[in-house]
Amino acid sequence: MKTFKGGIHPPENKILVKDNAIVELPLSKVFFVPTQQHLGAPAKPVVNTGDTVKRGQVLTEPMGFVSAAVHAPTSGTVKEITKRVHPVTGLLAPYIIIEADGKDEWAPGLPLERDPFSMTAKELLNIIRLSGIVGMGGATFPTHVKLSPPKDKPIHTFIINGAECEPYLAADYRLMLEQPERIIDGARVVMKVLGLDSAIMAIEANKPDAIRLMQEKTPPEIKVEPMKVKYPQGAEKHLIDALTGRQVPSGGLPMDVGALVHNAGTVAAIWDACALGIPLIERITSVTGQGINQPKNIKVRIGTPLKEVFEFCGGLNDAAKIIFGGPMMGIAQYCEDVPVMKGTSGILVLTEQETNLNSYQSCIACGRCIEACPMRLVPSMLSRLGERSMWKEALDFNLLDCMECGSCTYVCPANRPIVHFVKYLKTLQREAKAKGKEA
Amino acid sequence: MMGAMLMVGGIGLVAALILGIASVTFAVKMDPREKAVLDQLPGANCGACGFAGCVAFAHELTANPEAEMACPAVNKDGVEAISDILGRSLGAGDAMIAFVRCKGSPADTITRYGYVGPEDCRTAQIIAGGPKACQYGCLGLGSCVEACPFDAMHMGEDGLPHVNEDKCTGCGKCADACPREIIALISRSANFGVRCISQDSSKEMKQYCKVGCIKCRICENTCPFEAIEVTQGNAASIDQEKCQKCGLCVSVCPTGVISSKQPPRKVQVIAEKCKGCGICAQVCPVDAISGKPKEPYVVDISKCIGCGMCIEKCPADAIERLAG
Repeated sequence: MKTFKGGIHPPENKILVKDNAIVELPLSKVFFVPTQQHLGAPAKPVVNTGDTVKRGQVLTEPMGFVSAAVHAPTSGTVKEITKRVHPVTGLLAPYIIIEADGKDEWAPGLPLERDPFSMTAKELLNIIRLSGIVGMGGATFPTHVKLSPPKDKPIHTFIINGAECEPYLAADYRLMLEQPERIIDGARVVMKVLGLDSAIMAIEANKPDAIRLMQEKTPPEIKVEPMKVKYPQGAEKHLIDALTGRQVPSGGLPMDVGALVHNAGTVAAIWDACALGIPLIERITSVTGQGINQPKNIKVRIGTPLKEVFEFCGGLNDAAKIIFGGPMMGIAQYCEDVPVMKGTSGILVLTEQETNLNSYQSCIACGRCIEACPMRLVPSMLSRLGERSMWKEALDFNLLDCMECGSCTYVCPANRPIVHFVKYLKTLQREAKAKGKEA
Repeated sequence: MMGAMLMVGGIGLVAALILGIASVTFAVKMDPREKAVLDQLPGANCGACGFAGCVAFAHELTANPEAEMACPAVNKDGVEAISDILGRSLGAGDAMIAFVRCKGSPADTITRYGYVGPEDCRTAQIIAGGPKACQYGCLGLGSCVEACPFDAMHMGEDGLPHVNEDKCTGCGKCADACPREIIALISRSANFGVRCISQDSSKEMKQYCKVGCIKCRICENTCPFEAIEVTQGNAASIDQEKCQKCGLCVSVCPTGVISSKQPPRKVQVIAEKCKGCGICAQVCPVDAISGKPKEPYVVDISKCIGCGMCIEKCPADAIERLAG
């Protein structure tokens, strides 16, 4: 089976939630919609306090090309535009708060019924841009940017990412099992946009039923490829390496080797946007971990408060840590006042047993992190430079190539928070760069 | 036995001879003043002067006749001594000292989450902006203490860093280490400082801190010298040049966020000199002086705040500060 060099084998723990069918969360009374749910330039609100909005109506206008709009998750009135805690940064960020009227009325004309394959690639790309679609694996990079490669870097390999290598999570798995048509049709739309006649669907081998189902359902031009079970198999650069043997150059993008990777959830959202005209206002996410009473895979509207998700899943039990995303790369939350966002691929509630709150020791130079690093860096050195704030020296050790997958931290016998140090060094580098620009 | 002794002794003699010749032929000529200047520098190699260490700076001072005194750690006497050695006068800057501009100990403030990670304020700062609810407050992990080359800082029992004024040289290393710019260098002669830099409104601040500046402007309105100001959205700040060290701001601040290095010395009236004019009673901002015209006035020690405004106004020089 195809794979890459390095990586780790953490306990999967998917059993908690992987056999639970997707259920829809009841509509919340209030929705907290962050205006920034993507990487890139911010988006500006186009509604005012007191406005009535309909489900699927545009709430924000992107400020630039690398940016994405946000749409109303339900019908109601805009109660307030204010600042609240943002799940990704942990700082105060602008929110549009919508009080639902309970009618859940669609914006006029929605949902549409149209045939995306009768449209031109340009039209489809424009629909994707206006629908606010971002990478739903967690990175939230605007999808239309990835689909608009410059002329000198044509894309010839399109990979649909169904690896879901993060432990605990099973949202993409349930999506593949329950709604394979959305993914396949969405993939065909992407192929049409890029003018490709083939695609690869990569699924980790620990989901044999999903692989079988996809092999049955996919047309011959989409090849289903089982991948070795290993973390981080679903990282885009590693999927490309494993499937094509091409390595994305340091500091480069997948388009530099002619490849494009989209998460299965993103592809399904592309289908909804192109065929039904529905913007990205809901997603499927796994609520799991030992700290939640009833782990579930839920279909949830963007902006639903976390508290209601927990109530729906039977409440918390002995919870020590709440994480948005997976246990390896997810972001810990310090309060329950945050909403579900476009990039929330999982909501993890861990007990003290499942977390590691111990202190760390000095590096013993054992080299396990070097073996585990899928980017072939020297994490031990980066962590030691991090302790001394030496970001310039860290650049010589390819600091910026680190994707913060956490494999090094996971294997470190001295329990060193290596990724924390890397993030710190990157912050220093960013600050110095910003200062240099000012000067 | 004898042979071995001669052998070893012989090798020693030859080696000594070579070393002796080498020390004369290859001697590096060093300006003798450089050594003398180096003796006056603190020797901590903190780098605040902009050079690689004290030796490099001593060399710069002696070799470059236009070099200025960039070491913040040398006191006035030291600067004079170096001026004597070099035979030219170096301008001695105002001696500075580190000042911690936060008073929010963990007991008085709210912590948002339990931080797990390196014991360093700068790494804590990148996790959701730090565990402290106040975005301007001290994180209390001691990066400044770690950075101090003079052992002049330590973490107090209140979870905040404290400056040892005898040891602090004002090099500014702690200020650089603080990710929130809480530590500032202020003039060593300054007696008062505002221990808060929050730009949050009092409404926001009440949610997480009991001891911050609430921008009430009472200090600004009280100060007789216009030395303290609450500019738009910022915490109060003191203009140390205008400050006359009366201490009125300290006594009126409702949250006690203005601190004083030394308590002001209270005053008393010298009965023999007092002519009973009553000017002192008029200028006293706290009504601590009373008396009858043409009789010696009396200061109520319990009310006196030691601002010294009466001393300035007394035409007979009849008011003096109490000892200690």
